[in-house]
Amino acid sequence: MPTITIDGQTIEVSGDKPLLQECLNQGVELPHFCYHPAMSAPANCRQCMVEVGTPLRDRETGEIKTDANGDPEIQWLPKLQTSCTVQVSDGMVVKTHRTSEKAKRGQRDTMEFLLINHPLDCPICDQAGKCPLQIQSYKYGSEGSRFEFRKVHKPKRVKLGPRVMLDAERCINCTRCTRFTDEVSGSCQLTINQRGVKNYPITGPGETFDDAYSMNTIDICPVGALTSTESRFKARAWEMSRTPSITTINAKGSNCYYMVRDNLIMEVVPRQNIEVNEYWLPDEERVGWAYERFNDERPEHGPEIRVDDELTPVSWDRATDAASNALSSVSSDAVFFLGSAHATVEDNYLLSRIAEHVGAEAPKYIPHVEPGHGDDWLRTDDRTPNAQGCERLGIHPVDAEVLRSRVRSGEIKVLYVLEDDPVASGLFTAEELEDVVVVMHYYNTTNKTLAATDVALPAAMVVETIGTYVNEEGRAQRVRPAKVIKEVNRTLMMATGKSRTDMHGTPFDRWHNESHQVDCLPGWEILPKVAAHLGLEFEFSGPKAIMLEVTEQNPAFHGATYEAMGLQGHRLEDVGETV
Amino acid sequence: MEATNGQSKAGDWQNFERVLLPPIRDLHRLDVYEKEYDGYQAIQKVLREWEPGEVIDEVKQANIRGRGGAAFNAGLKWSFMPPKDDRPRYLACNADESEPGTYKDRQIMEYNPHLMFEGILIANYAMQLDACYVYVRGEYVDWIDHMQRELDKIYEKGYVGENIFGSDFSTEIILHKGAGAYICGEETSLMDSLEGKRGYPRIKPPFPAQKGLWGNPTTINNVETLSHVTLVMRHGADWFSDIGAPTHPGSTIYGISGHVNRPGCYEYPTGMLISDLIEKVCGGMRDGKKLKAVIPGGSSVPPLRADMIDGVTMDADSLREAGSMLGTAGMLVLNEDTDMVTWLRRVNHFYQHESCGQCTPCREGTGWLEAIVTRIDEGEGNLRDLDLLIDLCDQMEGRTICAFADAAAWPVRYTIERFREDFEAKCKPAVFDTGGVAMTA
Repeated sequence: MPTITIDGQTIEVSGDKPLLQECLNQGVELPHFCYHPAMSAPANCRQCMVEVGTPLRDRETGEIKTDANGDPEIQWLPKLQTSCTVQVSDGMVVKTHRTSEKAKRGQRDTMEFLLINHPLDCPICDQAGKCPLQIQSYKYGSEGSRFEFRKVHKPKRVKLGPRVMLDAERCINCTRCTRFTDEVSGSCQLTINQRGVKNYPITGPGETFDDAYSMNTIDICPVGALTSTESRFKARAWEMSRTPSITTINAKGSNCYYMVRDNLIMEVVPRQNIEVNEYWLPDEERVGWAYERFNDERPEHGPEIRVDDELTPVSWDRATDAASNALSSVSSDAVFFLGSAHATVEDNYLLSRIAEHVGAEAPKYIPHVEPGHGDDWLRTDDRTPNAQGCERLGIHPVDAEVLRSRVRSGEIKVLYVLEDDPVASGLFTAEELEDVVVVMHYYNTTNKTLAATDVALPAAMVVETIGTYVNEEGRAQRVRPAKVIKEVNRTLMMATGKSRTDMHGTPFDRWHNESHQVDCLPGWEILPKVAAHLGLEFEFSGPKAIMLEVTEQNPAFHGATYEAMGLQGHRLEDVGETV
Repeated sequence: MEATNGQSKAGDWQNFERVLLPPIRDLHRLDVYEKEYDGYQAIQKVLREWEPGEVIDEVKQANIRGRGGAAFNAGLKWSFMPPKDDRPRYLACNADESEPGTYKDRQIMEYNPHLMFEGILIANYAMQLDACYVYVRGEYVDWIDHMQRELDKIYEKGYVGENIFGSDFSTEIILHKGAGAYICGEETSLMDSLEGKRGYPRIKPPFPAQKGLWGNPTTINNVETLSHVTLVMRHGADWFSDIGAPTHPGSTIYGISGHVNRPGCYEYPTGMLISDLIEKVCGGMRDGKKLKAVIPGGSSVPPLRADMIDGVTMDADSLREAGSMLGTAGMLVLNEDTDMVTWLRRVNHFYQHESCGQCTPCREGTGWLEAIVTRIDEGEGNLRDLDLLIDLCDQMEGRTICAFADAAAWPVRYTIERFREDFEAKCKPAVFDTGGVAMTA
C-alpha cells in the first residue's frame, strides 16, 4: 500500500481511490462540492485544490534523489491540483490549506467565485443549516464580497418532476444531479442547459424528471437548488432531530434517517450503508404517503373494544384482558394466530410463544408480494420489511384458501392478528369475520379490518418502537424510536436520541407537548400483558432481551444481538430457501 | 522591449510561391486538383513506398508545428499514439476555427479542400486509423456543403473508403458540423461534441492518444497542419523545414484584420516581421494613422504595444520572447484611435458568452471581468478596479480544466499592463468621496 505525506504526517493509504477520498478517509477535511464517492469526478467545482509533489527520480537509475539531509527531493507540480482527480502514488507529498498558503488562497478564491452569483438567500433556504456551501464558505471562504454588480438571474421555481423542484439561481453547477441520473440511476433525465454563468440542470424539452430515485438528487445537491416539492419550506434543518433507522416499505431494508419535528416525521433521508443501499433511497420510501402514515393516519383513541357493535375506547388493562379472555374462551384449535411481516422479529417471536402456550397451531403471515414492483436495486417485489424474519422464526405464508374455508365453516372462532390487514389483503370480507372474535394490533386507522375487529390494540410503528427486521438478503437491522408515544416507557425513552432538537420533551420536561403523541404500545409491551392473563409470564426486560433469547434459541438468528447489529446491521447466515 | 534579432526569418518572401493556396483557378475541384496540382500523388506514393512509421518520422523531422495555436510538433504528437490493437482509432480534424480574428482554415476549406483530404489520408495511413472526423464550425454552412460535394467525389473514385487506391488500407472521412460553440474548438470538448454530448473539456490525463473519441486512441490536428502534411510527403521534410523560421518552419496563412489598408489572408513563410506584414503586405495603416497595438494570434493572446514589435517575427519563439504568442496567426492590428478599454470590453464579452460553465473560476470569473471592464468603459470605474481585475486574473489562470480561463484572463492582464493609461483615463479620479461634504483638517 502506498505511503503518502499529508501536511507533514505520513500515512498509509489504500491507493485505489483519488487523493480527496483518501484524505477524507483519514479524517483530513478538504472542502469539495462536485465530488461524490459513488460517481465520477468531473473536477468542475475546483474547490478541493491542494499542492501536490512527487519524489524526484533519477532519470537513468530510476532511484529517488535525496537532498543533503537524506530526505527525498520533492518535485512540486506548478499548478494547484484538484485532489479529486489526483491518483495517489507512493511517496506523494501533499500540502493542504492547513500548511500551504497557496492552497488556502486557491480554495478561498474559488469560494469567492462560487458565491458571487449565488443568491445568498440562506434565511429562506431549506438547505441552510446542513448546506455544504454555507458550511464550507464559513470555514474556507473570505469575509464579505468584492462583487458589486447585479447577480445573474435564472429561473426560480422549476418543477423538474413530480417530486423535485429547482431553484436555478442557487445552483453552483456541480453536476452531481446530472451525473446521478447518468451514472447511478441510469435514467439520463437531467442535463445541463445553457452555457457559462447561465447554465443550470434541466430535463429535455417536454420531459419530466420522474426517475424512481429522483429525490436522491435533493440529498446530494450541495446547495438548496434542488428541494422536495413536498417538504420544502416545512421545517428548518436545525429544528429536526435525526434518528438512524431503516425504511419498511419493501424488503430491502434501506438505511435511513427519520427527521422529526414536533413529534411528526417531516422527512426520510438516506443513511449510508454500503452493504445495503449505499447512499441512496428510492422515492417510494419518502413521498408523502410513505411517511404520513406515521403522522396523520394514526389511531386517536388508544385501545378499543367492541361494545354494542361500536368500538369504544377503554384502558389498556381492559383491552388486554379482553384479548386474553377471547383466547381462553375457546378451545385451542378454534384460535388462529396471524403473525406479520410488517412487525418486528421480537413481536412475532412473542406471538409464536403465546400460540405455543395456548396450544394453537404456529402463526402464519400474509405475504404482500407485488410481482414487477422490484427493480433489482432498492425496490423489491415484496412490500413488507420482515418476511425473511418471519420465515426464520418458523412463521410461514398463510394458505388463504384453507384459512378462509375454516373461518366460513365456523371452525375458527378467535383470530389474533399482529399488524396486518386481512380484509384489505382479500383474505376475508368484513362480513365473513362477523362471527369471529378478532383481536388486532394495528398501526393505521385506514386498516379495513377494523370494521370487523372486536379488540383493537394500537401498536407502535417502526418509527416509535425498538426492534429488529430482517431484509431479503438476510441482514438483521435495528430500528430506533424517532417519535415518542403517549405512554411513558423507560426502554423507549432510553433509546430515544438524547439532546433532541425537536423539543417534544418527556412528561418531566417543562416544554413537554402531548400533541402528536399516539396512545399506542410496542408489541413487546402488549403481548406480555395478554400472555400474563393466560398464565404465561414473560420476564424480558425489553426487546433487547427478547432478541438475545431469539439468537440463543434459534440458529437462524445466530449472532444478531443488538450490539452486533449496531447501525449497519448484522448479516445472518443463509438458512437455505426460506421465502 | 529589446528586439529579438530584428531580421525577417522569411527569406525572400516577396518571391514566395504559395503552396497552400496556390494561384490555380478552381483548385477546389477534384479534376483541377489532380491535373494541375499533382493531387493525390503523395498519398499514392506513401501507400506504395512508405511504412506507416516512416511517415510519422518524416513528418516529425519536418517539424510541422501545430497551426491550431499550440505550435506542437505534429509528427511528435502522432508518435504518442499507442501501438495498434483491436480498438478503433481516430483522427479528429479540428476545423472549428472560432478564435476571434482567425479565418485561415476557411480559405483552405474553400480553395483547396483536397489538400486537407489528402493530408488526412496520409495521417490516417501513418497512424493506421479507421476514420477521420472533420469537425467543422457550425457557421460554415456553405463550406460544409462545398466540402461534402468534393468528399463524395473522392469516395466515388475510391480514394477514401474500402481499400483506398486499390491498396489494402481502408479508412473513412466524415464531415461533422458543430453547433457554433467556441469551446468545441478545444480538442477534448471537440471530442465530447463529436460523441453527441455537451461540449465540456475533459480532464487530462488521460490524453486523447490514450483515451479519446469513445474512449479510443485519437489524434487531433488542425486543418492547416494536415494540409502541410500533404506538402511534406510530396516535397520531403527538408524542403519544408527550409521554408521560414528555422524553429517554426513552413508557410502559414496570416489572417490580418483591423486598421490596415488591405486586410485579408496572406500565405507567406513563417517568421515574417510584423512590421513587414503591416507595411508591405497589408499596405500600411489605414488613413495614415499610427499603430497602437498588435494582437498577433487571435483575441486570447497578449496584445503587443506598437513599440514592442520592432524586429519581432511571426513565429512561436520570437513572439514568446516579445511577450505574446503566435496562436493561430490571426493578427489584429489596431490604430491610435482605438480605446483599449472598449476593445477589452468586447473581448471580455466574447469570453463571458462562450465559457462552457464547467469550472467555477471561468464560469464566474469571465462575467465578473466583463462587468468590471464595462463599468470602467462607461466611466464609472475606480482605479482600485484595476487591481481587482489583476487579482481575478490570478484567481482564474491555471485553475481550470482547460486553457479557456487563461485565454480569457491574458487579454485583461496584459491590456492593463501594457495600456494602463487608457484605463486610468477612464477611471474616476482616485480621491476620497466625501459625498459633497468639505473635508477639514
